[in-house]
Amino acid sequence: MYSLGILGLALSLIVDTAFSWARMFAALAFSVVISLLVGIYAATHKTAEKIIIPLVDILQTLPILAFFPFAILIIVSAIPGALGINAAVVFLIITSMVWNIIFGVYESVKSLPKEYMELSRLYGLSRWDRLTKIQIPAAMPRVVEQSILSWSIGLFYLVTSEIFSTANAAYAVKTGIGAAIASPAITGNIISYSMAIGIFIIFVIATRFLFFKPWEDYVTRYTRNSGKKQSERQWPLNPGQIGTMGARFIRKIEKGNISRIVKVLPGMQNRQTAALTPNRPSRHETYWKFAPYIILFLAAALTLYTAVSNHALVLAEETVLTSLSFSFARIWLAFAISMCIGVPICVYTIFLTRHGSKYTLLFQIISSIPATILLPAIVSLLRSTPHSGELVASIVFVLSSIWYIIFSTLNTAKTMPQNIFEVKDIFRVKGWKAWKNIYLKAIIPGLVTGSVTAIAAEWNASIIAEYFTVGASVVSQVGTGIGKLLDLTLASNNLGLMMLALINLTVIIILINTFVWKRLYSKVSRAYA
Amino acid sequence: MKMVEVKNVSYSFDENTSVIGDVSFDVEKDEFVSLIGPSGCGKSTLLRIIAGLIKPSGGKVLYMGKKVEGTNNGMSFVFQDFALLPWLTNLENVKLGCSGLILSEKEAEKKSSVLLDNLGLTGFENSYPNVLSGGMKQRVGIARALVSNPRVLLMDEPFSSLDELTAETLRSDILYHLKNKNLPVNAVVMVTHNVEEAIELSDKVVILSKKPSKVSAVRTISLKRPRNKRGKDFLSMMDFVYATLAK
Repeated sequence: MYSLGILGLALSLIVDTAFSWARMFAALAFSVVISLLVGIYAATHKTAEKIIIPLVDILQTLPILAFFPFAILIIVSAIPGALGINAAVVFLIITSMVWNIIFGVYESVKSLPKEYMELSRLYGLSRWDRLTKIQIPAAMPRVVEQSILSWSIGLFYLVTSEIFSTANAAYAVKTGIGAAIASPAITGNIISYSMAIGIFIIFVIATRFLFFKPWEDYVTRYTRNSGKKQSERQWPLNPGQIGTMGARFIRKIEKGNISRIVKVLPGMQNRQTAALTPNRPSRHETYWKFAPYIILFLAAALTLYTAVSNHALVLAEETVLTSLSFSFARIWLAFAISMCIGVPICVYTIFLTRHGSKYTLLFQIISSIPATILLPAIVSLLRSTPHSGELVASIVFVLSSIWYIIFSTLNTAKTMPQNIFEVKDIFRVKGWKAWKNIYLKAIIPGLVTGSVTAIAAEWNASIIAEYFTVGASVVSQVGTGIGKLLDLTLASNNLGLMMLALINLTVIIILINTFVWKRLYSKVSRAYA
Repeated sequence: MKMVEVKNVSYSFDENTSVIGDVSFDVEKDEFVSLIGPSGCGKSTLLRIIAGLIKPSGGKVLYMGKKVEGTNNGMSFVFQDFALLPWLTNLENVKLGCSGLILSEKEAEKKSSVLLDNLGLTGFENSYPNVLSGGMKQRVGIARALVSNPRVLLMDEPFSSLDELTAETLRSDILYHLKNKNLPVNAVVMVTHNVEEAIELSDKVVILSKKPSKVSAVRTISLKRPRNKRGKDFLSMMDFVYATLAK
């Protein structure tokens, strides 16, 4: 009987996870299509480029999860019932996945040699041919590369939003892994909680090997050693069965002639453009020069206006700013801890073991396990400690930021000059000298890129890390925080305060991006050019 | 006196791909030796084996009679693509070459800066490698290799990333420094695929066959320096090397 119960539980968990995965695949499909359209459009139209690229740059660092309560409110009121809440979740995942893929497409199309376009004009290719025979295949390797990253970001959003949704019966996702783990963990049902996590991890690994690996092999097959043709053999499924746009497009293209010429390049550039990522902002620095001043001005004007006209708003603003500063301190403290742990791990895997690439896959898998899935366990472990709410929030912040730091650093390691190791050996650079002159300096670009996303991930996590509820009961909460404030405004339907909080959050993030990260970026890219 | 002895060295990536078959040769004191061979014959790998960067699959390398295991202070390396660390200034890059020595910060700095001066890079101490031209970058690379006073200098195609004019100047500069005994370097091993360059610089040319490579000829070049590249002896030496390579 008991084993039957376990089996039933496993089955129901598998169904739950499958539902979650369906949402993920739907979101990924939308994201890839949107990215291809937007990215190629931005890369080929000067005016569009000037608007789209800075906009995407801002959007990708915004903590979109914080907008989730707002999105639920809007979407569910437009599409009632289960469809509405699912649409809200998928929409949310798209907003987490799409930005880096857009950049990937944009950069690979932008860096296509001019000759390809000249070629297409010489042979009189139609716009459709140009798209399917040149631009899309050129973009695909990076689409896949970025999709893998997006997938783990998306999982974080998926689980978080599912857990989050259970807090409010009206907006609850009925079937999903996030929803399935929330209650057993709190009621102390260790078996079903660990089984849920186990099944989740199996799904993560299966997706990596059965979906992304073959997809990656397929779109990059002509960039690797062309003599060996191994990719064709590794492809376990017919591309048509996978049903991805990319695979189908590419199969078509294979029949074309131009593709043979196009085949040489994209992947090779791929590596190079990846290295250049930290330089990216310098391309449109000019926009950034003005954005913060405009925002500052608007904010000042708004405060002045409201201070004069509306006393209640001033009070609300005070609440929001207090919450914001508490979260701010918490998030940056957690970020500092993540750095202290992440940097030695990176140095070890890149320089001291020299098997960084082997670890990358392991890290990719571990990092796709969202920190928030562990939240219930952390909560129940720490429930009795003093200040458990603060502790829980900090741990979730560290867990959600550290992978971005490690990941991005390991990625830049791929593009580091390989003879660094030989230089280190030949000149016998060791100990503190090696740390100072080689290890730390080599990973700085990766750390800077990773930090931006790490901080964004923390802001995102704040929405459940600072105020975690299961059913109607609050399980863990901090004293004051922006995530908590947003949650409370959703519960009390206080749309005005929610808007005000979101505006404040957005402003502060844009300001930090401009005054901290963009400056660091341009410093680093100047020194490492 | 033998500075370096390469004894029956072989190397293969795996069971099926043997790169270096069986190579033996000696490098005497005060000798400039060039390794030349068709592409893919494992010249660069062989040089890295001599340096102690790569372990040979078979055979051994002796440096001053002692078996080479890992890198050592007596041998230094010049890279084909310079391998300067972009985040260090030129002076810091050169200073990195002193890492294996016990030197105070000040001494290291002084030595490095003198070498940079000698190689014509005065004024570039505090700028980064990215402002330098290819030839200047390689001068920094050579300074880094020389700063530790190595007795053997290993050079992996040091001029092949440079345009011909720059390479020409750098070659004669290096030859000047080496032959005028400004430097304590006792021997040089250079990998190259440029036959003329090999004959111009070397006292001995070791010609390797295609992979799995073996030594197909060793030729001592006793032409008087400075060598006239259009001279009869020079040209007949070139014919010999080309003929051996084509076999």
